[in-house]
Amino acid sequence: MGWLFSDFRRPAGERPGPVWWSFVVVATAVLLSLPLTLDLAQLLDLSVVFVLALLALSMSFLWGYVGILSFGQTAFFGLGGYVYAVAAMNWGDTTLPFLLGIAIPLAFAALLGVFMVYGKISDIYFSVMTLVITLILNRAMRATSGDQYVIGDVRLNGQNGIPGVPPLQVPWDSSVTLFIDHVYYLSVVLAVLVYVGLRLLLTTPFGRILVGIRENERRIELLGYDARRYKFAAFALSGGIAGLSGTMFAIWGNFVAPEMFGLGQAAEVIIWVIVGGKSTLIGPIVGTGVIQYLTSWLGTQGVGQVTLVLGAILIVFVLLFKDGLVPTLGAAIARVFAGRRESGGGGQ
Amino acid sequence: MNGDPKGILQTRGLRKTFGGVHAVDGVDFLLTEGELRCLIGPNGAGKSTFFKLITGQLMPSDGQIFFGGSEVTTHASHEVARLGVGIKNQKPDVFDGLSTRENLWLAAQFAHDKAGAIEQVEQVIDRLQLGAFVHRLVGELAHGQRQWVEIGMVMAREPRLILLDEPSAGMGQEERLRTAELLKELNRTTTIVVVEHDMQFIKRIADVVTVFHRGRVLREAKVDVVLNDPEVRDVYLGRTEVT
Repeated sequence: MGWLFSDFRRPAGERPGPVWWSFVVVATAVLLSLPLTLDLAQLLDLSVVFVLALLALSMSFLWGYVGILSFGQTAFFGLGGYVYAVAAMNWGDTTLPFLLGIAIPLAFAALLGVFMVYGKISDIYFSVMTLVITLILNRAMRATSGDQYVIGDVRLNGQNGIPGVPPLQVPWDSSVTLFIDHVYYLSVVLAVLVYVGLRLLLTTPFGRILVGIRENERRIELLGYDARRYKFAAFALSGGIAGLSGTMFAIWGNFVAPEMFGLGQAAEVIIWVIVGGKSTLIGPIVGTGVIQYLTSWLGTQGVGQVTLVLGAILIVFVLLFKDGLVPTLGAAIARVFAGRRESGGGGQ
Repeated sequence: MNGDPKGILQTRGLRKTFGGVHAVDGVDFLLTEGELRCLIGPNGAGKSTFFKLITGQLMPSDGQIFFGGSEVTTHASHEVARLGVGIKNQKPDVFDGLSTRENLWLAAQFAHDKAGAIEQVEQVIDRLQLGAFVHRLVGELAHGQRQWVEIGMVMAREPRLILLDEPSAGMGQEERLRTAELLKELNRTTTIVVVEHDMQFIKRIADVVTVFHRGRVLREAKVDVVLNDPEVRDVYLGRTEVT
């Protein structure tokens, strides 16, 4: 039974097998049928898990598979949200703003990538610089409370954020907008598509070379690959995914604010990824869900210092389950089944 | 300015300085196509630094490097590799978290199309007898096995010039013999430079030997001449008789 989890371990070029595909189909079907049993408030809570899981995926792809820790993925997350909000409120239509919410963060990440990847800055400075960039954007957006900070007809409102962000319209009929349950469906579908897309990407030559860069960048270069090209492309892609997450966040909450760029948000993404396990792509999705629900639950239990408790959880995971929830559980279950097989004297 | 047309690899006045210390100190080196050259010299003589300069892992402080007649002095590692230079570094420099097959595939993929890469990987596995650990993570293998994987990676790219830094280190006697035979076989189609300390190994494979000492070329001659040179024995072999 251990083989069941082998698909969820760090892929090394092998295409996912039927077990993994079955898992994806069943999990998607279950998630898409949940609106039949959950009320709107519960759907709203669950939607944001999948919206934020996109952000976690953007980080774990870059960190777990390329070996680059971009501490400031929230720069692209916040940018995506603001781009959608400002464009949709100015134009009325939401299809192009939705696409721009992905494209502009992707382009911004590409621009940063030119300087940071081609400038060959070391991994630690990469983390620091991305964090600084998101904090600069956070401060910049906070400083836009004056009347002069207007893009088109939309006031940026400083730290109060922009309320009343329009809901997403159906591309072919702008009179039809997505309601809470539709946003849930879209969040699930997008999270599954990005998850599957990244998983399949890792089986392509491009993805396998990215994993090679994580393992030994010098050797990749000595084989003839220009590692910078691959890191640049991966960073831009992850910026686009984080932008999609921010866009969906704006649609989900009808609101954007400078906190989207903030240190708290940036740190939280790292906690989701570490708790879930950065060596898998499913781990960060699970990590996002666990931490989001835990945060809500702690809030309802009257725990005043939720952040402190989250910090303690992070420390426990770093010390005791350094691979994260999903890889640790997977390995434990694999061991149990391997043990049974041995004691039963059976073969494969 | 171009290099010597006879030389596949040439350096002129190549120098690398680390904080005032000349690790490589004005090396003039010429290697003709088809050679199997050995580099010897005591630890710290500058042999590994010399390899790193050629392959773009380090930038020279001064001097020039030519490959195939064209200057590559300031080329990055991947550019030198693309021209057809493959290297096995002194310490196993592999993808520890990936399987043997994936290591070889990453090497073969660069130089071949999809089907060609898979075929090349299988050929290298057969040739180096890596079949027993083809699915294992390279990080879990013994030192000697990891050396074989790295040699396999270099072979899989089919470079014009192969640089091998201590290919037989950590190998048993039988594996050393196999490595020597493999190098002679590879040399039928590829130019090779080998850094080695094992004199038996060198005598088995080498024709011309270049001796490095304190970052300079001390001597360059036929293997028997070099190994019986009093000055070479003085700096390198400690005046012991070479057998």
